[in-house]
This record gives sequence, structure tokens and C-alpha cells, in this order.
Amino acid sequence: MKNKIIALLVMLLPISTWAQDATATKGFWDDPINHPMTPFYVLMTLVGIVTILVFVVAIMLLQVLNTFVERSAREKASAMGVAYVPEPSWWTKLDRKLTNAVPLEKEATIVLDHNYDGIKELDNHLPPWWKWLFYGTIAWSVVYLVVYHITDSVPLQEQEYANEIALADEQIRKTRAAEPVAAIDEAALAYTADADLISKGAAVYKNNCASCHKDKGEGSIGPNLTDDYWLHGGSIQNIFATIKNGVPEKGMIAWNAILKPEEIRDVSFFIMSLKGSNPPNAKAPQGPIWKEEVKTEVVKTDSVKVQASL
Amino acid sequence: MELEKFSYDNKIVKAFIIATVAFGLVGMLVGLTAALQLVWPIFNFDLQYSSFGRIRPLHTNAIIFAFVGNAMFAGVYYSMQRLLKTRMFNDTLSWINFWGWQAIILAAAITLPLGLTTSKEYAELEWPIDIAITLIWVVFGINMIGTILRRREQHMYVAIWFYIATFITVAVLHVVNSFEMPVNLFKSYSWYAGVQDALVQWWYGHNAVAFFLTTPFLGLMYYYLPKAANRPVYSYRLSIIHFWSLIFIYIWAGPHHLLYTSLPDWAQSLGTVFSIMLIAPSWGGMLNGLLTLRGAWDRVREDVVLKFFVVAVTAYGMATLEGPLLSLKNINAIAHFTDWIVAHVHVGGLGWNGFMIFGMLYWLVPKMWDTKIYSNKLANLHFWLGTLGIIFYALPMYISGVVQSLMWKEFTPDGFLMYKNFLETTVQILPLHMLRAVGGALYLVGTIIMTYNLIKTAYSGKFIANEATEAAPLTIASHGNKGWHAVLERKPIVFTTLALVAILIGGAIEMVPTFLIKSNVPTIASVKPYTPLELHGRDIYIREGCVGCHSQMVRPFRSETERYGEYSKSGEYVYDHPFLWGSKRTGPDLQRVGGKYGDSWHYYHMLDPGSVSAGTIMPAYPWLYEQQIDKEQTALKINALRTIGVPYAEGYEQTANEDLDKQAARIVENLQMEGIEVIQDAEIIALIAYLQRLGTDIKVKDTALSANQ
Repeated sequence: MKNKIIALLVMLLPISTWAQDATATKGFWDDPINHPMTPFYVLMTLVGIVTILVFVVAIMLLQVLNTFVERSAREKASAMGVAYVPEPSWWTKLDRKLTNAVPLEKEATIVLDHNYDGIKELDNHLPPWWKWLFYGTIAWSVVYLVVYHITDSVPLQEQEYANEIALADEQIRKTRAAEPVAAIDEAALAYTADADLISKGAAVYKNNCASCHKDKGEGSIGPNLTDDYWLHGGSIQNIFATIKNGVPEKGMIAWNAILKPEEIRDVSFFIMSLKGSNPPNAKAPQGPIWKEEVKTEVVKTDSVKVQASL
Repeated sequence: MELEKFSYDNKIVKAFIIATVAFGLVGMLVGLTAALQLVWPIFNFDLQYSSFGRIRPLHTNAIIFAFVGNAMFAGVYYSMQRLLKTRMFNDTLSWINFWGWQAIILAAAITLPLGLTTSKEYAELEWPIDIAITLIWVVFGINMIGTILRRREQHMYVAIWFYIATFITVAVLHVVNSFEMPVNLFKSYSWYAGVQDALVQWWYGHNAVAFFLTTPFLGLMYYYLPKAANRPVYSYRLSIIHFWSLIFIYIWAGPHHLLYTSLPDWAQSLGTVFSIMLIAPSWGGMLNGLLTLRGAWDRVREDVVLKFFVVAVTAYGMATLEGPLLSLKNINAIAHFTDWIVAHVHVGGLGWNGFMIFGMLYWLVPKMWDTKIYSNKLANLHFWLGTLGIIFYALPMYISGVVQSLMWKEFTPDGFLMYKNFLETTVQILPLHMLRAVGGALYLVGTIIMTYNLIKTAYSGKFIANEATEAAPLTIASHGNKGWHAVLERKPIVFTTLALVAILIGGAIEMVPTFLIKSNVPTIASVKPYTPLELHGRDIYIREGCVGCHSQMVRPFRSETERYGEYSKSGEYVYDHPFLWGSKRTGPDLQRVGGKYGDSWHYYHMLDPGSVSAGTIMPAYPWLYEQQIDKEQTALKINALRTIGVPYAEGYEQTANEDLDKQAARIVENLQMEGIEVIQDAEIIALIAYLQRLGTDIKVKDTALSANQ
């Protein structure tokens, strides 16, 4: 039965790996045969099997050896005419040491003079390791309270948060300094029907925008993105700015905290590419009709704290 | 000395056993349904009465109070009579205890699906039922203390100590946590607000685990395990030390449910250190159980009762090590709000409580029906199905908890959340939720097999309603001084008083300062009471059990402030009766959802969550669009809240509905602009009003923080 359980446990493991892998990168299970790590995994599995076999054989050999040792001890005992008393196993010795228990055969000496519906009680010592565990946790607790609340050596949660933010800001600054990317913003943006960028933008759209604007941009909670009517302007600059800064009063969040500038660009390109696609079930037009020469004011940055999508 | 003849009452035990098995099956079936809903929401059959938010409390209450509660009564009523060598104090009280408890369960089974709930975990039942629980619990207590006073055994055995601690502590916990202000017969508001409510609730919630699921079962272990193994209890002095340290320390540990929340730091730290100090006292019980089996381990292989006990005690040991580790801040930061906690409680529930109950039933039923177990094979099958069930339940949930938590926390190198949409992390763990349901199903199948086996066993024997016995009357003479504790064991009233003192200290030290010292909850000037419409919306939020899946507590972590917004401040919750911080994030936190989306987003999302968030496991709430709020309740709600300290102006209840209508009209107008037609009094309007209010108070420009206003 034990083996069956172990087999089942092993079966559970790949599921977790799959759960993790399936997210962003191409996972092992997408193509296990050609995966670069496959030879390594196979090797490790073989090594594992061999290790287990070696263990099993070693244990068997040890048992055989023990039998011989025991037999010779028995012979010696009978030659000397005394009763053979087996050496206590390492487990019994460890158990005795850890629990400080009175051995079973001497149990009668510590039975208490009680009898509760046939239940008797022994009065064994407290297991020493248990006692020390208890003392240890008490000592640990004292130290914990002192370092957090008396000496203030360890930051409490608000300070911990401030430290975390400072560290993250520093790291982001370093990352950006190491790979300077040309700043992408609405000012210098021009739309090109770059298939690569548009397909990247489509992926961003699907994960972040489709819930309100629907898969094909036909609109639902948010407006239709495929027609010629735009509430906040239909130029590439307008679209980029609307995504970046949001329209919080209408439930369009500012995405600059969530999407990178290049992602906002890609998804803007994707939206531009939807123009005139005329999907079914399109939402009725909202806002004025958009003509390229009309100048619409760019949405101003809002000071409301922006958040990631729920 | 002349022996007195009397009999043990087995009939009451039989009644509790039947209730245990019946409610065990029901509770597990509801649990399985809930598990399926977390993969396929349609398993609520589109009925409001079986939506997840309502049947989650039904599952927890059915398991804790109906299954485990009845088993506790069965086990206590059987063992107490024998350990004290007397019949129960009063048969009538026994039966009032039985029928009263079943009536409470019935009331819970009706009210919870109807959405009548206080929303406080494991204390969801509304105030009339709370009163009934108090009365029945007192009946149980009188019956127990009476039995102890009429005993023929001079000393009280360790099992009795645990029963006493259970009785007094549960009484204190239940009464203190159930302080609430009735609005009408079916609705009340918690007396406490925000941080204080959270502290009281988790003092209760944690100690419900301690004193309803742990201490009575340790008592049962001390009777049934040595009886089944036919071995003396390993160590009397270990019993003494672990009993007193356990009940004294346990009561302090509640705040570990509130780490990194707005609870003051000092209270959080007390929760952590007392949880760590709890490891040894808890393990004392496990050691005394397992070491009692010394010299009987060969029988564990054959005796199915002992098998169940060994797994139960081991599960107890694992859960009581895991609990303290989860109370460490760094581990809690990962595990809290995730499936890890669900796995943890189920190791305790399925392993410790479930297996203790199964072992006890397999031992009791043949005894009480004077026969042998019908089929050892089936009992063994049950054992293995149950064990596999636990493994299939717990392992996927551990993995799921860690995986999801790490996904929530992952950042890209340039400082953006890796998984921007909460849903991306939910979708990843659904396969593991499926496995969990498989585990639950295995466990349930095992229980069904047990039911069949026990019924067959009972039919093969003859029930002994009154088991005749005899014992010498109680002799007062003390035979020699055996130490201070032996003296205490002869004085039940003193013993009970000491236990009461031990359990009061921790709660008092944590609660009194939090209530009295104002700097523990700094006031924020911009935080105002809810408007009447928001109040109605909040009550709908409570009724639908939204808190079962959505927290309202942004912890001070970068990954949370980036995802949700500014972290929560204790001053934001001062008008929250009850608090709705939640303990699990199956969906995202909602503390800062106000103003984030448009009204139409919420409208469509509640109507058909899948159409807005493809792949979501949130159920739809179509009834909110048909049902209307009861505006006659507005004044009652305002009055009730004013009584418990919310500063609504005198007489506001007269004009509250005017404000309500105005606010509702604005939302209806917003929706009309998006082409949505909806009745102004529809419940969805109130809910939208509440959701749009959430967390917006501190967005007001003057977020003046005044420490002691």
C-alpha cells in the first residue's frame, strides 16, 4: 500500500510543474521530447532509480550481516550457558534516549494507583527533547518581542513596506539605466501597420482590454473601437494617451502602471488596425465622428492613484 | 463496602451517533459541491440558495457543529459516565441537549442558504440562533458539571479536564463574539467595528478550532485510544503539563490570523509568539497518544480502530506544527489568503477530527450493540480511501497555494506585475482544484462505506439501551498526598475556576487595550459612515457571502499596493459592523475597487461574470436584478447602527430614504447612458453603490490623520 501512495504522490508532481509552466514561457510539456533539458531529466531519473536500488541492496546486505552476527552471538551465549539477550536496536536506543521512558518490561514500577474504567496511567518522565523544545520556544518568543518592540532592531510592517518600495525603486532604476530604451510616448508616435507589433498588441488586448471592449473591438462596457466615432480622439496619439492615462470617471483605468510603454504602443497599433473591420454585434457609435485633421485635446494625466487590473 | 447498582445511558449516545453520521454525510456532500463550484461555477445550479457564498458557511457549520459537534457529544456522553462511574446527571437535560442541538442545526441549514448570516466565520448564525446555542450549551454544561459532582470516582481523569475546559471556553467565546445589535428577527450588526471586530472574531475563530475541534477531541483521545489499545496512558505528568499549557497559551494565538493587517503590531506579535510556544503543548498531546501505543504497535497493523487513531494523532501533530509555522510573518506573507490555509484546516478536519470520529465509531458501535464489526475489510477500505482522500486533498492545495501566491507577487525586472490580471493566477490553479475535489470525493465515498458498515453492524447485534453496572460509592477519604494536582482532580469547582482564569488572561490582555487605547486605531477625518443605499448594498454583500472569496484588506506589500492600491489603514474601518476583511482570496481584494470601474462594468459583471472576465469562476447573481431592497428596513438599520456608535444624526432615519433614492437615481442614470434599463430599487443598484464606495474615503484630498480625535 505504501508503494501505491508513493506512486500517487509522484503522479501529483508533474501537475504542479505543468501549472507553473503553462503560464508564460513555453513549458517542458509542450514538447517534452525535444526540450533541451530532457536528457538531463532522463539522466536524473536513472540516477534516482539506481540510488534507490543501491539502497535496497545495501539494506538487504545489512540484514544478512545482522543475521550472521546474531547467530554467532546466540551460539556464544549457549556455549557459555547463559540466556541470549539481543542487543537493543539503534531505533530502540534512540527512542529511549529521546523519550527517557521507563522500558516496557519495567512499566509496573510507574503505574499509578488509578483505574478509570480500566484505563491506567503511567508516570513516565517528560521526553527531554520535548521539554527543551518548549523552553526553546519560550526563549525564542522573548527574543522576538524584544527585537521587534523594545530594541526596535527589526522593522515593523510599515517600515518593512517602505524598505521594500525603496529597494524596488532602486532596482528598477538600475535596470532602466542598464538598458536604455528610447522613451515611447504619444508625442513622437506614428502608426505603421507593422504586423509584428500588431500581433504583440493583439495579445495584450486579449488579456487586458477584451473584457470591456470585446474580442473584436465591437464594444460592450467600453465603446466600439472599430468605427469612426471616438470619445477621446481617434489618432494614434489620442489612443495611446487614453490608454496610458485612462478615463477614470468612466471606468477606464490608467494603464501606465500596468502596461509597459511598448505594450501600450503595441495595443494602440492593434486598435488602429481594427478600424473599419465592422465586427458583428457592434456597439452603437459614441462620441463625435473622427477625422484626421480635427485636433482633439490630449487627455491630461490624472493624479488619481492608478492600480493594476483586478 | 457495598456496591451500588446503576446503569449507563447508551440511548443518548446512540442518538448522537446517528446524528453524527447523518450530518457528516450532508456536510461532506455540501463541501464536495462547493469544491466543484470552484472549478465549474454552474454546480450552484444557478440558484441563489446554493451559490458558493452561501453554501461555504453551510459546509463549515455542518462539519464543525453538526458532524464534529454531535460526535463530541456522543463521545463525551459515553466516556464521561464510565470515567466518573455514574449515569448522566439528568436524562431530561441529556435529551434537551440532543434535540436542542439538532434544532439549531436545522435552523442553520435553513437560514444559511437563505443568506441570513452575520458573515463572521464559524459564527455566521443570526442572533436568535446564537441565543439558542447559548441556552443549549448551558444545558450541556449543567448536565456535565452535575455528573461530575455525582461521580463515584474520586479523581477526575485527564479526559474530564479537557471536557471542562471545552465547556467553559466555548461558552465564553460564543457569548463575547456574538454581541450584536438586532435590526429585526433575521438581521443584526456586530457590536464591534473594524479592527476590534476582527480581533474579537479571530480570537473566537482561532479558539473555536482550539476548544471545539481540539480540546474535546484530546479528551476523547485520552479515553478511546488507551481503551482500544488496551495500554496504560504513557505519562500522567505530561498530561498535566500539556493540558494547562495548552489551554493557557492557545487563547492568545488568535491574532496570527491578522498578520500584516491593520491590527496593531504589538497584538500581531503576541499572536506570533504564542503560536510558536504552542508547538510543544500541542505535541504533548500527540506524544502522549502515540507513546501510549508503545508495546501495541503490532496491533496497529490489524486493528482498524487503532489505524484511524494513529493517522488522526499524526495529522494532529502535523497540523499543530504547521499552524505555528504559518504564524511566522514571512511564511504567513506567502500562505495567507491562499489555498495553503484551506489545505491546513483540512489536514486538521479530515485527518484529526474525521479520523478520530471514525475510529471512535468503529469502536463504539460494536460495543453498544454487543457484537463485532460487520466487515473489517470494508473498514480497512474506508481507512485507505480516507487516507488517500486526505492526500489528494491536501497536496494539490499546498501546491496551488504556493503557486498562486508566488504569481501574485512576481514582478518583471522593470517593475511591473508579471500577472497583471488576477484571473491569470486563478486559471492556473484550476487543475489542482479538480484534484482537490477528487480527494474530497474519495473521503466521502469512504464515509458512505462506513455508514453501510455501521448500519450492518448494528443490525447484527442487539442494542443495550441501559448498560447495567455497579460501583462503590464515592469515598471522601484521601489516600495519601499524591501532589497538588491530584488534590485539584478531586475538586471540580476549583478546577473549573482555575481553567476559566487560565483562558481569560490571554483574551483580556489582547482585547482590553485594543478597545480602550485610542491610538491603536488612529482616526481618519475623511472616513464617513455609509450612505443608506450603500448600507443596503453592504448587507447584500454580506448576504451573498462575498467575503468568502474577496478580502477587503490590502496588506503593506509592494505586490499588493501595485495591484490594488494604497494599503489598508485601521481608521478606514471604524464604521464597519461587522468587519469584512475576509480570510481567503479566491478572487481579488476589493478594498480599493470603488471608482475603479464604471457602474456598467459592475452591472454586467454581476449579471454574467464570464462575459466580462472570460474563464472566471465567479458565479452569476441574476436574482439581484429582480429582487428589490426593502426600504422599510432603512430606518431600522440606521437606528441599530447609531446605537452601537455610528454617528448618524438624530432623526436621520426619517430622511434616509430620500438620500437613498437620490443616490440610486444617479446610478440608474449612469447605466441608462450605457443603454441599460434597470429598476431603481433593484438590489444590484445598492450593491453597485457599495462597491463604488469601497476604499474611496481616503482618496479624498485632505486625508488628515489625527491620532487621538
